[in-house]
Amino acid sequence: MDKILLAIEVLCGISLALTLLLLVAEFFFANYGDCEIDINNGDKKITAKGGGSLLSTLSEDKVFIPSACGGRGSCGFCKCKVDKGGGPVLPTETPYLSEEELKNNVRLSCQIKVKEDIAIRIPEELLSVKEFETTVESITDLTHDIKGVRFKLPEGETVRIKAGQYIQLVAPPYDEVHEPTSRAYSIASRPSDDEAIDLIIRLVPNGIVTTYVFEHLKEGDKAKLVGPFGDFYLRDTDKECIFIAGGSGLAPFRSMLYDMIEKGIKRKTTFFFGAVGLRDLYFVEEFAKLSEEHSWFKFVPALSGKEEGHSYERGLITDVVARSFEKMDNHEGYLCGSPGMIDACVRVLTAGGIPEDQIFYDKFA
Amino acid sequence: MKQTPDLDRAQQRMMPGELTLHGFLGDDTRKLVDIINEDGDAVLSRGVSHKQIADRLADIMEQGRDIMEREVNVEGRFTVTVRDDRGVLPSPFGDGCFEKGDCHVVDSETKSEFLFNGLTIHMIRTYGFYSGKGSQYRLEPAALIETFGIKPEAEE
Ligand SMILES: Cc1cc2nc3c(=O)[nH]c(=O)nc-3n(C[C@H](O)[C@H](O)[C@H](O)COP(=O)(O)OP(=O)(O)OC[C@H]3O[C@@H](n4cnc5c(N)ncnc54)[C@H](O)[C@@H]3O)c2cc1C
Ligand code: FES
Repeated sequence: MDKILLAIEVLCGISLALTLLLLVAEFFFANYGDCEIDINNGDKKITAKGGGSLLSTLSEDKVFIPSACGGRGSCGFCKCKVDKGGGPVLPTETPYLSEEELKNNVRLSCQIKVKEDIAIRIPEELLSVKEFETTVESITDLTHDIKGVRFKLPEGETVRIKAGQYIQLVAPPYDEVHEPTSRAYSIASRPSDDEAIDLIIRLVPNGIVTTYVFEHLKEGDKAKLVGPFGDFYLRDTDKECIFIAGGSGLAPFRSMLYDMIEKGIKRKTTFFFGAVGLRDLYFVEEFAKLSEEHSWFKFVPALSGKEEGHSYERGLITDVVARSFEKMDNHEGYLCGSPGMIDACVRVLTAGGIPEDQIFYDKFA
Repeated sequence: MKQTPDLDRAQQRMMPGELTLHGFLGDDTRKLVDIINEDGDAVLSRGVSHKQIADRLADIMEQGRDIMEREVNVEGRFTVTVRDDRGVLPSPFGDGCFEKGDCHVVDSETKSEFLFNGLTIHMIRTYGFYSGKGSQYRLEPAALIETFGIKPEAEE
C-alpha cells in the first residue's frame, strides 16, 4: 500500500514539475506576435500583441466588457460570442455557460488567451463605452452611510449618458487589494451636466470599493470611471410614471427627473423614496422644491421606522405605493434599490395592474 | 480527501484582496483541504450534514429578511438583521455568483453572534467550508449545530 501511495506521489510530483516547466517555458519563449481582433464583423479592428487574455487585451484598446471579478474567471459576466479563433472552451468556462451559449460559441473573454486572429461579437453599445481619468471634485456626507461624490472629467472631455444608466468606478490597489477593482454605480447627474459625473455611494461593510471610497478617497484625487452602461432609462411613452427608490437607489431618478424637466417632458410622475428613519433621508429639500415647481411631479418620502416628529408617509414603501393608487392600469414602474425591495415592488405594481414588461429596473446584479 | 489543484485555485482566490477585502481564511494558515476535513469531522461526529446546516441558516436568513433591513425577531430567540445590498459576489470555488447582503444573527440565550450570506451558505452546502479561523465570517460547526438546534436526520 505504502509503495502504491509513494508511486502516486512521485507521478504527481513529476507531472507538477512538467506543468511548471511548461508554464515557465511559455512565459519566456511563447511569442504569439501581433494578432488581429475583429469586433462585430469589422465595426472595429484591433491589432495587439498576443499573449494576454482577450478581456485585458480589449480593455487596453479601450473596449470594455463588463466584469465583476476582474478577469479571475469567477463571475461569468465577461461573455462574448467568438466567431473565429480563441481555442477550445476551457473547463473554467463551462460552469458559466448554458448549453445554448456553448452551441452559439459564447465564451468568457477573460479565459481566452489571444494567440491568433480572433473574431468576436459584443453588444453594439459596448463600443461607445469610454474610460475617464477624472478628478474628485467633492465628497459630501449625505447620510450616516451614504456619500455623494462628484467626479470632474478632464478639461475638454464630455460624457454622453442616457439618464438612468450606470458607470463603473475603478478603485486602485490599496492595502491588501493588489488589483484595480470595478463596481457599478448609477449616475445621479443629468445628461446635460456632461463634464462631470455624480455618484451616490452607500458603504457596504467589508466591501472593497466602498471601503476605498469611505476611508481613502479624498477631494482632488484622481479616479477612473468606465461607462456608461445599462438600459434603465425612461421609455418613450405617455404613461404615468411611478418611480420607487430605497437607499442609494435615488441616484438614477435624480438624473431622469432633471432630464425630463430640461426636455419639457411633463408625464405625471410620482417618486416614492423609502427609508427607515429621518437619518436615512437625503436630497429631500431638493425634490420637494422640484415638486413645488412642477405640477406633474409629486415627491413622496416614506419612513418605515417608528420615529415621531415628521409628517412623511409612514410604513413600508410597498404599502405606501399600494395605498396611493386606486388603479395602475395606465402606469409604468421604474425601480431602483436592493434586490429584495425590487422584488417586493414588482409584486405590488403587478397586483395594481402594471404588466411586468412595463416595470423597469437594473437586473444586472 | 487531498488538496487538489481545484482547491489550490480556490485557496488562492480566498486570499485577502482577491475577491473580498479581507479574504475568506482569516489567520488560518492551514491548507484548504485540512480546514474542510476538520470541520467535516466536527459535523459528521454530531450526526448531521452540511446540507442540514446550510438549509437552517438559509431559513433563518429568509425569516429575518425585511425590505428596509430592519431587525427581525426570529423564533423568539434570534435577533436577525439582513442587509439587502446590490451586486453579486463571485464564489472562490469558481462556481457562480451570489447576492451580496450579510445576515447578522444575535442569539439572545448565549449572546453569541453569527455572520453569513448567500455565498457562505453555498460554500457550506457544497464544500463543507465554514471560512478560516479568525475570519469575521467564520462559523464554528459545533456552535451552529447547538445554537440552531440541528438534530441528526433520523431524530428530526
Ligand atoms: C447596476 C448596478 C448599479 C448600482 N448602483 C449603485 C449605486 O448607485 N450606489 C451604491 O451604493 N451601490 C450601487 N450598486 C452596488 C455596487 O455596485 C457595489 O456592489 C457595492 O457598492 C459594494 O461594492 P464593494 O466593492 O464595496 O463590496 P464587495 O467587496 O464587492 O462586497 C462586499 C460584500 O462581500 C461579502 N463578503 C466580504 N468578505 C466576505 C467573506 N470573507 N466571506 C463571505 N462574504 C464576504 C459581504 O456580503 C460584503 O458585504 C450598484 C450595483 C449594480 C449592479
Ligand atoms: S471577468 Fe469574471 S469571469 Fe471573466
